[in-house]
Amino acid sequence: MIHVENLQKSFSDLRRGQVTALSGVSFDVHPGEIFGLLGPNGAGKTTTLRILSTVLRPTGGQAIVAGYDVSKEPEKVRGHIGFMSCNTGIYDRMTAWEMVEYFGRLYGMEESFLQQRLESIFTTLQMQEIRDVLGSKMSTGMKQKVSIARTIIHDPPVMIFDEPTSGLDVLVARAVLKTIATLKDQGKCIIFSTHIMREVEKLCDRIAIIHRGQILAIGSRAELEKLYGEPDMEELFFDLISKSEAA
Amino acid sequence: MFVQWRNVKLILLRELRDQLRDRRTLFMVFVLPLLLYPTLGIGMLQLTMLFTEQSRTIVVLGEESLPPPPLLNGDRFVRTLFLDANHAAKLRVITASDILRQQQERIQSAVPETSEEERPTPSQLLISGREIQSKLATRNQHRLDLMAAVARNDEAETTRLRDSLSQIQTELSEMFANSGIQVLVIIPERFDKNVERVNLELADRTRTGSISDYPRPVIVYNKADEKSSVAYQRVTEAMNRWEDRILEHRLELAGLPKTLPDPVKPIREDLASESQLSAMMWSKLFPALLVIMSMTGAFYPAIDLCAGEKERGTMETLLICPAKRIEIVLGKFFTVLSFSISTALLNLISIGMTGAHMATLAQRMPGAHGGTPGFPPLHALAWIIVLLLPLAAMFSALCLSLATFARSSKEGQYYLTPLLMFTLGLTVFCGSPGMELTPFYSIMPIAGVALLLKGLLLNPQETMLYWYAIPVLTTSIGYSLLALWWSIDQFQREDVLFREAERFELRLWLRHLMRDKEATPSFTHAVFCFVTIMMLQFASFRFLANATITPSGELDAVQTLKVMMVQQLALIASPALMMGIMLTTSMWQTFRFRLPSIKMIALALGLALAAHPLSLMLAVGLQWFFPPLPDGIARLMEGMGDPKQPLWMILMAFALAPAFCEEVAFRGFILSGFARSGRAGLAIVLSSLAFGIMHMIPQQVFNAGLLGLLLGLIAIRSNSLWPGFLFHFAFNSLSVLHGRLGRQLAANPDNLHQNTFFYTVDGQGHVLYQWPTLVIAGTIFVGLIYLLVAKQGASGQPETIDSIDSQPLMGNVAMPRV
Repeated sequence: MIHVENLQKSFSDLRRGQVTALSGVSFDVHPGEIFGLLGPNGAGKTTTLRILSTVLRPTGGQAIVAGYDVSKEPEKVRGHIGFMSCNTGIYDRMTAWEMVEYFGRLYGMEESFLQQRLESIFTTLQMQEIRDVLGSKMSTGMKQKVSIARTIIHDPPVMIFDEPTSGLDVLVARAVLKTIATLKDQGKCIIFSTHIMREVEKLCDRIAIIHRGQILAIGSRAELEKLYGEPDMEELFFDLISKSEAA
Repeated sequence: MFVQWRNVKLILLRELRDQLRDRRTLFMVFVLPLLLYPTLGIGMLQLTMLFTEQSRTIVVLGEESLPPPPLLNGDRFVRTLFLDANHAAKLRVITASDILRQQQERIQSAVPETSEEERPTPSQLLISGREIQSKLATRNQHRLDLMAAVARNDEAETTRLRDSLSQIQTELSEMFANSGIQVLVIIPERFDKNVERVNLELADRTRTGSISDYPRPVIVYNKADEKSSVAYQRVTEAMNRWEDRILEHRLELAGLPKTLPDPVKPIREDLASESQLSAMMWSKLFPALLVIMSMTGAFYPAIDLCAGEKERGTMETLLICPAKRIEIVLGKFFTVLSFSISTALLNLISIGMTGAHMATLAQRMPGAHGGTPGFPPLHALAWIIVLLLPLAAMFSALCLSLATFARSSKEGQYYLTPLLMFTLGLTVFCGSPGMELTPFYSIMPIAGVALLLKGLLLNPQETMLYWYAIPVLTTSIGYSLLALWWSIDQFQREDVLFREAERFELRLWLRHLMRDKEATPSFTHAVFCFVTIMMLQFASFRFLANATITPSGELDAVQTLKVMMVQQLALIASPALMMGIMLTTSMWQTFRFRLPSIKMIALALGLALAAHPLSLMLAVGLQWFFPPLPDGIARLMEGMGDPKQPLWMILMAFALAPAFCEEVAFRGFILSGFARSGRAGLAIVLSSLAFGIMHMIPQQVFNAGLLGLLLGLIAIRSNSLWPGFLFHFAFNSLSVLHGRLGRQLAANPDNLHQNTFFYTVDGQGHVLYQWPTLVIAGTIFVGLIYLLVAKQGASGQPETIDSIDSQPLMGNVAMPRV
């Protein structure tokens, strides 16, 4: 479902000059799988996911999402993914219902089907009481629910979550993770980035540890444990990072 | 690019609803115009009713010598001496006799003279007045002494008197400023007697010999002080009318007719009808309002829709929906456009209604003169709508681009304020009296629309204006499409959409400039270089203009040529070369110093030959279009053809220096920088625009812009500076030689009015090319361009384009990729 090969991205920055954000990242994600992208801040997680969602263009390499090339058919890719990050806010001057409805229409959903789906999503996510609340009047938890509803309204086969729990309290974060787990059970192909070890351990089927635009290790928990002889994921993570820093 | 209008409509509807839910936008767009003008109108009415001017203090010295009829009435001027009798109350007159009378009254009523206020008492004012009077006398005496000293050639005495005179003058100003007097009137002694004497002498027909003059009254005031200057105008109004009466009396005594002083005094006949007067008012008001309001109407929604969306963190949400970027931009653009149009229209309607209402009110008020400024005619209103559309579209797209670039609403306001200031300046310029639509102005952005509307409101019968509507509308639509294209381009750039809020530090930036040097300059460097060159030109303008004038006020030709060369080297080539050294690592690549192939040299020279007649006849053909050359430039051009000047000198100044300096700057540094955008076509267009703009005068801007395109193409294709240099040198030399030839031909009348198959010579000796020459030149030109653009050079070696990234190139300028 997601196929990334030798993905590269560089841009110029006033402070640092020419910056390489990604230097040759490759991985695959399959349906019914949660793939965790684990790395410290600035490792290239957001850049990778932004390229997968076609918001940024890669400077090299290839990425195929849901059967479409991100560079050649970006609109098709966007139509088949659900994307959520801490940067995808919701509109202040729109109610929860209007917001999700608007995006459903942008995804080209047929009107009667859209209304049906809206009803069912608002019920499952327990959002019926905030239907007519304006974005500006919502709490962070409510906003996050609207964001999730917006992400899944068109029932995309691929979902991309970029640090979806950052800045959320424990309760809301737990609810978000639970929703992601449910989506996996529905057979979605999910890619998930975080810097929180616990989330990865709990949720992900396979993990890639990314640092300075490169993947240091990739595999399931068991595979990584076997490969590096380190059962503690956190220790493994620090080992790999510090080795890479030393190199 | 295929646009799904469904998405555009969805985005448009959402943005509209979003804006309509925003109270600030609603207030700016709808409430403010509907309330502003009526409120202003009421305010003005009230102000005019409540406005009371404070009375000003006038001191009259020597009032006992005033001749009849009476000028003063107690502490006022006589009311009938003013056009508006109420003005008399605005001047408080202080005279010695009046003070005396008041003191007597006070003694009678036993009220002590109080000086509870800071303001000087009447007697103090009178004393100050007398001091000023005596100081004035001293000064006059000094002047006489000075004149005598100058006549005697007494240098020491002259200097001393000059110094003391300026000292007295300063003291006098200070005394007057501190006195609390606004106007001081000094009536000389025996003034009434003198007037009476002259009256009698004039009446005496038997008398012979001249009539001697007498000392005149003096009015002291300070023009720089507003109070004093207003009071002075009122005093003169009263005194002029008073003088008229004295004159009437004098004429009557002498048995002369009253019309004696005005042998001409024409009868004025003003044919302006009421509707014309109102048309004039609207023609001043509406164009300015239309421009400013369509700009303001676009300003706030654009910031909210782009910068605001980034700030609130919803930009990325929108970017990940399947709508294309162009659809998002169009949706936002139509939103901004509808707000821009409604703001402009609402403002016009509101001010129109208020104006008409105020006018009817004013007419009902006593003492009203003039008619109702009726509403502008219906067809003019239709034109407003037609012209508003492209204007609003341009502003909307411009605001959208700038707002997209901004990271926050605050930053958006910073970027848009200069645009607003520029627009305001332009409207003031168009609104100034005498500004009329010309072919040149008709293709200028904003100005064309404003002037056309001004003309249509002022003079709807003028059919020429309707012809102007074609270029005005075409170019306006063109400008708005260009602006829209820019905003779509902005929206597709990652560095614009995801600009991080980085702290800007000058030191950091300079370090970045020095550290991250690359082989060729960046886009920003190129813009910076152009701006620097323009600034230098502007700053040196006055200095250079002065340097070319000989002490006798003549234009010194040789000096001019020298100055021109220095200017080219110092202000055009040097900045570019300096920046090349400081900002790039490869001068060789930046300035394309590599030697070209023989083929390119031949092509460049051939193109120069072919372009010369084409460019010349184009300039001749378009002469009507441009405003006439300023006098100084015209004279300079004349000097260029002057056979008295040595040819080598002229060629140095007009061909060699520009060819080298301008090529280094515009095809070297600036083109290389623009080419870094990855689009060679865009780079050529931008560098030729810059090249054109630097030439300042509209004719040359146009000409240089076209040649800039050609030169840019040559530079990019040959990847060398030298073919362009040769073209430039050859082309300018041909122009110089053409001018000189004309001058030589004009010297002999036999040469004039020749008519051959290839050229004609007109009455002034100008050689003009006939169409066969143009056809031949055109054919050669097209052929050479084809050779230039077509695939690789005859040398078999591809002309390398190092500076251009391997990205697809724009337009039909297909370039081999290396």
